[in-house]
Amino acid sequence: MARIPTSFIYQKTAIDIAQKQFDLAQIQNQIGTGKKINKPSDGPAETARIIDLNQAIGRIDQFQRNSIFANQSLGLEDATLSSVNNLLQRVRDLALQSNSGSQTDETRRIIQAEVKQRLEELLDYANGRDGNGNYLFSGSKSRTEPFSETATGVVYNGDQNQLVLKISGNRSIPASESGYDVFINIKNGNGDFVTSSNPSNLGDGLITVGSVVDQSVFQANDFTITFTTPTTFDVVNTTTATTVLAAQPYVSGQSITFNGSEVAISGDPQAGDQFFVNASRRQDIFTTLQNFITALETDPVSAADQAQLTQALDRTISDVDQALQNVLNIRTFIGTRQNSIDTANLENDGAKFELQSTRSNIQDLDYAEAITQLQLQQTTLQAIQASFAQVQGLSLFNLLR
Amino acid sequence: MVDASRVALSGLQVFQRALATTANNVANAGTEGYTRQRVDIVSRPTVAFGDGFFGSGARVAGVQRIEDQFLNSRVQLGASDVARLDTYLNLIQRVENVLSNSQVGLDSALQNFFDSLQDLSNNPASIPARQVVLSNAETLVARFKDLDQSYNDINQEINTRIASDINEINSLTSSIADLNKSIVQALATTSGESQPNDLVDQRNLLLERLSERLSVNTVELSDGSVNVFVGAGESLVVGSNSRNLQTINDPAIPGQLRVGIDVGAGAFDITDKISGGSLSGVLDFRAEQLSDIRNQTGRLAQVLASEFNAQHIEGFDTNGAFGTNFFSIASPQTLANQNNTGAATVTTTITDFSQLSSSDYELSYDGVNYTLTRLSNGVNISAPAGPLNIDGIQVDIVGAAAAGDRFVIQPTSQGAAGINVLLTSTSQIAAASPIRSLESVANLGNGVVTSPEILDVTNPDLLDTYEIRFNAPPTTFDIVNVTDAVTVAAAVPYTSNANIDFNGIRIQVQNQPEAGDVFTIEQNSGGVGDNANVLALLGLQTTQTVGGTATLQEAYGALVSKVGTVSRQTSISSQTQQSLYDSAVEARDNISGVNLDEEAIDLVRYQQAYQATAQVIATSNTLFDTFLGIVSRVL
Repeated sequence: MARIPTSFIYQKTAIDIAQKQFDLAQIQNQIGTGKKINKPSDGPAETARIIDLNQAIGRIDQFQRNSIFANQSLGLEDATLSSVNNLLQRVRDLALQSNSGSQTDETRRIIQAEVKQRLEELLDYANGRDGNGNYLFSGSKSRTEPFSETATGVVYNGDQNQLVLKISGNRSIPASESGYDVFINIKNGNGDFVTSSNPSNLGDGLITVGSVVDQSVFQANDFTITFTTPTTFDVVNTTTATTVLAAQPYVSGQSITFNGSEVAISGDPQAGDQFFVNASRRQDIFTTLQNFITALETDPVSAADQAQLTQALDRTISDVDQALQNVLNIRTFIGTRQNSIDTANLENDGAKFELQSTRSNIQDLDYAEAITQLQLQQTTLQAIQASFAQVQGLSLFNLLR
Repeated sequence: MVDASRVALSGLQVFQRALATTANNVANAGTEGYTRQRVDIVSRPTVAFGDGFFGSGARVAGVQRIEDQFLNSRVQLGASDVARLDTYLNLIQRVENVLSNSQVGLDSALQNFFDSLQDLSNNPASIPARQVVLSNAETLVARFKDLDQSYNDINQEINTRIASDINEINSLTSSIADLNKSIVQALATTSGESQPNDLVDQRNLLLERLSERLSVNTVELSDGSVNVFVGAGESLVVGSNSRNLQTINDPAIPGQLRVGIDVGAGAFDITDKISGGSLSGVLDFRAEQLSDIRNQTGRLAQVLASEFNAQHIEGFDTNGAFGTNFFSIASPQTLANQNNTGAATVTTTITDFSQLSSSDYELSYDGVNYTLTRLSNGVNISAPAGPLNIDGIQVDIVGAAAAGDRFVIQPTSQGAAGINVLLTSTSQIAAASPIRSLESVANLGNGVVTSPEILDVTNPDLLDTYEIRFNAPPTTFDIVNVTDAVTVAAAVPYTSNANIDFNGIRIQVQNQPEAGDVFTIEQNSGGVGDNANVLALLGLQTTQTVGGTATLQEAYGALVSKVGTVSRQTSISSQTQQSLYDSAVEARDNISGVNLDEEAIDLVRYQQAYQATAQVIATSNTLFDTFLGIVSRVL
């Protein structure tokens, strides 16, 4: 039969109680922190997962901060562009007004004064800054004033870069537009070509803005329509120095077609009068406004003068239309990007929720289970203590009196 | 004739001794290492009378210790295992606490650093945003240094533990030798009849204590002495003599202590023969864990620094100059063995950070070939002369080594200690691309040019101004270096969106440009709002840069997980060994321990026997009185 030394009862009880107290402390710590993984050895593989998940969640938090920044930045830009849009609409109205026959030299002067005012206003918008003092429209040269007035007009000092931000793991969006794209990168005329008349024309012939009717044959070349007599004209491609049409009969208002383009000339041109159909160039909005101002400078005296003014105002209207279209396009881009940000935010929120619940499953404590465990451990500890109190009284010496 | 009172007297003497022994057992019920004793009572020789043989009483043949030698050795073995695992666990938990402590851990510092870069990408010109990047970089570096300092502290503690274990061992072996001497003498005085029980108990206790420090083999000799050996035959105690252990400096790695045994002149290294006990726990932890953990941390710092630097120098700072190295990178450590006799100088350089392993290496020379061995798994390469290349390091040898010369190479051990932030000013953060592209306002076509990509930052003409000029017809273009007035390439056929590579630059032109259209690539002067290089730097957060298989965070996670695994396994083994040890102690104590109830029964038993024997004397006294009374009446 096995015998047990008396000291063993005490030792064993001490070991058992110590072990139970350790287990209790563990569960208490878990309940205290709310986590079942409190140090790497509680779950080595889980710990590595938690570190990965923390990183992934941290990155999403950052993407959301980037999104907020991008949204603010785009919102600010859109607000500015909205003002620019209104300004251009007003300028267009003024151009239409100036073109009406009821204008006098005086009223044109008043319109000119307003356009000058608008040009300054536009310059202010173009040189706008964000809350951090960065210029909105200078590309990457955010500390360089993008547009400045010189003797020869407004010059651009920025670059053509955009600020690209990461708003989700696989989505980056430009959070800015360069001044080049907003104010400069605008084709003049109808966007394909631009028509004008020679200022020294003697007749009162006018050329329409025209349009491209066949893109497949359209070449970005420059053409000159020269009237050899008041009733015949030649069309010469000055880029290639070739005559496209020779000795064409002139009918006022009849369309002239070449190079896939269609224009019409009306009025009474004189022999030697020239009209130009040039490939569209980029023309900044400031130049467009300046051209408008310049056109209003000279009061028309002759019919030829009046034709020049009308020609210039028509040109202004088409140039402003191009600028308006550009602003609209950019605002559409901005809207699309804001939509992308919203979508990315939804995706980020979803992904973050997934990651957080995965992390929670890995590291968070099941309280119901933990408290059951705690009670079980307590009960066991109490049982050990109670049984020790019973057993330690059992000595034969107590009975030998 | 047999005298009943003399017989009874022997009984009285026997029961007094038995009662004394029982009393001794009861008195020592709480004494550590005490083995319960039992009086061997035998009958005295019978005496022959005419009518038969009569007993002449009882005597004490000896006092026996009740023990089982086999169980004693099991307890000693168990004590060794438990002490080894407890020490190992204690040390790995130190590392675990350091790594999982959010105040010292690396993961949050890494995350914060990259977060601040993201914020910088939102607002590259912002001086506060740049300041946050710099201070978060400083914090990250400080975390690396804190970790390294913790490893240093643990290494110091290991040295201290080795020294104090050795002191304790020397004191124990010396005491065991003294006890041997006393036991041999005591045994000799009783002609080998009976043992000095208390001395033997004490010696057993000391042997158990010794086993807690290191695992020993014992041989008990017939003269009562016990010889103690460590490993295969290095004697610690022979008879009444003991040999001291002493610390010796590792000739291969300075600052690391090893264990030697006194051999008169100097010490003989027995470090590799030590198994079991707290000493082996310390030594094994150092060999198996500490250097690897330190190396993994160091490698992380080195990879971070090298990858970050490589990208940072491709960018432009706010002064319009190329970025400089952001972090300093620790060089590999090459340690010549102090016992080397040759004149060779060995230097190690890192050639490919992505190939680095966390192992240390040993370079040895056998007189013909140099052998470079990866210490983690013994893989080696040999060559008669340097340089030797392995795992992204290059080992160069200058001068002649002597056969037997050895060098320890630690490519990554100093990584965490040697990382520093080199930038001193916010303007030095290279957030922008050094070059930019733009289209000419006069362009007729709808062609657009993409942002330039840097293929070779070292190209001397990288910052020159280039023009892509489209010819007539616009099916080909020329690349002209405007700065040097040199045509780089003429009449290159145009394909929309195809890569156009020249002088370290890559761009693409899209859509249809017209003849005469020009695209310019030029130095990005004033581009303080450009975040192109920050975005590239941020890419490092998710690039598998460590060993080509893990991101920085993943590599850190793997390190923490590894330490956690070792800690958990050691904890489980420790619990298993503890319960094995407990059961060995229980088995031993079940035989050798004092049970007070048992002693109470003995007490009663011997007391009653004593009373009975005393009654015999009283009875024989009465008999004698009766006899005297009769005689006196007769006389």
